[in-house]
Amino acid sequence: MTDIHVKKSQGNMEDAANAALLIAAFIGVWQIVFMLGVWPKISLPSPAMVAETFAKIILNGSLEQSIGITLARLLGAFAISITLGTLIGFTMIKFKGFGKTLNSFSAGLLSFPSIAWVPFSILLIGFDEFGIMFVVVMSSIFSIMISTYSSIRNIPPIYVDAARNMGAHGISLFRHVTIPAATPSLIIGLRQAWSFAWHAIIGAEILMSIVGLGHILSVGREFLDMSQVIASMITIFTIGLLVDRFILNKLEDKIRKKWGLDNHR
Amino acid sequence: MTKLQAKNIVKHFDHNGNSVVALDGVNLNVEEGDFICIVGPSGCGKSTFLNIVAGLEKPDSGEILLNGNPISEPGPDRTMVFQEGALFPWLKVIDNVEFGLKMAGIPKDERREISQRYLDMMQLTKFADSYTYQLSTGMKQRVAIARALAMDPEILLMDEPFAALDSQTRDLLLVELQLIWERTKKTIIFVTHNISESVILGNKVEVFKNRPSKIKKEIIIDYRRPRLAEDENLQKYYHQILDELKSEVIARSKDETS
Repeated sequence: MTDIHVKKSQGNMEDAANAALLIAAFIGVWQIVFMLGVWPKISLPSPAMVAETFAKIILNGSLEQSIGITLARLLGAFAISITLGTLIGFTMIKFKGFGKTLNSFSAGLLSFPSIAWVPFSILLIGFDEFGIMFVVVMSSIFSIMISTYSSIRNIPPIYVDAARNMGAHGISLFRHVTIPAATPSLIIGLRQAWSFAWHAIIGAEILMSIVGLGHILSVGREFLDMSQVIASMITIFTIGLLVDRFILNKLEDKIRKKWGLDNHR
Repeated sequence: MTKLQAKNIVKHFDHNGNSVVALDGVNLNVEEGDFICIVGPSGCGKSTFLNIVAGLEKPDSGEILLNGNPISEPGPDRTMVFQEGALFPWLKVIDNVEFGLKMAGIPKDERREISQRYLDMMQLTKFADSYTYQLSTGMKQRVAIARALAMDPEILLMDEPFAALDSQTRDLLLVELQLIWERTKKTIIFVTHNISESVILGNKVEVFKNRPSKIKKEIIIDYRRPRLAEDENLQKYYHQILDELKSEVIARSKDETS
């Protein structure tokens, strides 16, 4: 047990060291390109100038506010997406013909660019919170629907046989066997949907919002403030990475391990 | 007393658009307390027959009577131990054992009491809080047996439960299963392709004919227990069954090459 833990923490240290090295190399190259003067300062500021902008927007509170608003919208829309998407997914399982047809349509809509929902949303709903959230919901719900549908359909039949053999049926079969058996696969769908939602919210905010991370990114462009553009991009990158690595990926690993899907001996 | 009766069970399969007869009128009487072993060449439909008894598959014609009543659905009165164990990986060992009891709406305290008893019987007490991935294949089958017994079924169905085990673990479980059978007086139907297993376990061995299959012969084994794998006296039963099966295996391989 402890042996594994030691190994694991060593692995984590190594990962962190590698990540630090990569970031240092990136900043180094950036600094060199800056010093070569290929582009004027206004087009490509130095790492130090971007750091300064970071300090400024953190101190005046605009970065925190933007992050807060963006995440609030995103979580609201994502919650709607999960709830509706899961319910529709269950319905697709229940009515097979409907499920098959809707699955094909959803697959088409999955590759539909999120930004292409924006004009539709502006005209249908308007330049407001709900308009932005609509874009996020439409960009992530199909992924949830498809993943719910296919995760449940792909459950090993032996689990269902065993459960029915022990007297499980109807709702209790669904709750105690179908859902847990589908969970590892559902988590993968959730991760994918999250990434679609994240793309969508930033795109929608650039075009539709007067606050939020997408908005400060587009303000940077309007004021020809490349430092702010880069600072916003770094923030968006970092949040995306943190959520995926430290929440969704961790969750997936934990579930895979518990479900015995990883070879870890 | 007759516990279970299979009456003229017929089952077809759809194979690449062709209808294949899997079971061609299987008749079987199982007395209370019987330990029945079904042996046959692989693919002869013996597992299908067990699934029909369990209610997981429906026969095209014929019926299964349990205590004189026809069965139509799966139920906890006929619990099955599957070849791969089919334990739920999201549950701890103890919760796996209690699953059927929970489905039956038995209160938690009572469930704990029952599961403890069967975990103890299968020497699993130490592993009650483990997850299944932490167990060896042999341990998993112990859990599967405990889970099936905890339901206190009318009849215990076992579908090649020891096929994936190493021989030492299998020999150990073959003895334990006999002790459990003597202790619980359960009626058991045990499907296997392994002749020695059937000789060690069964008081009746039903030899299945190759497809379209039915029961070719019933061999009664009246011999003291616990029987051990190395017991020379069991050889004659072994050869008796082997003789019955040989022609079937040859027929089967002809089937496959033609």
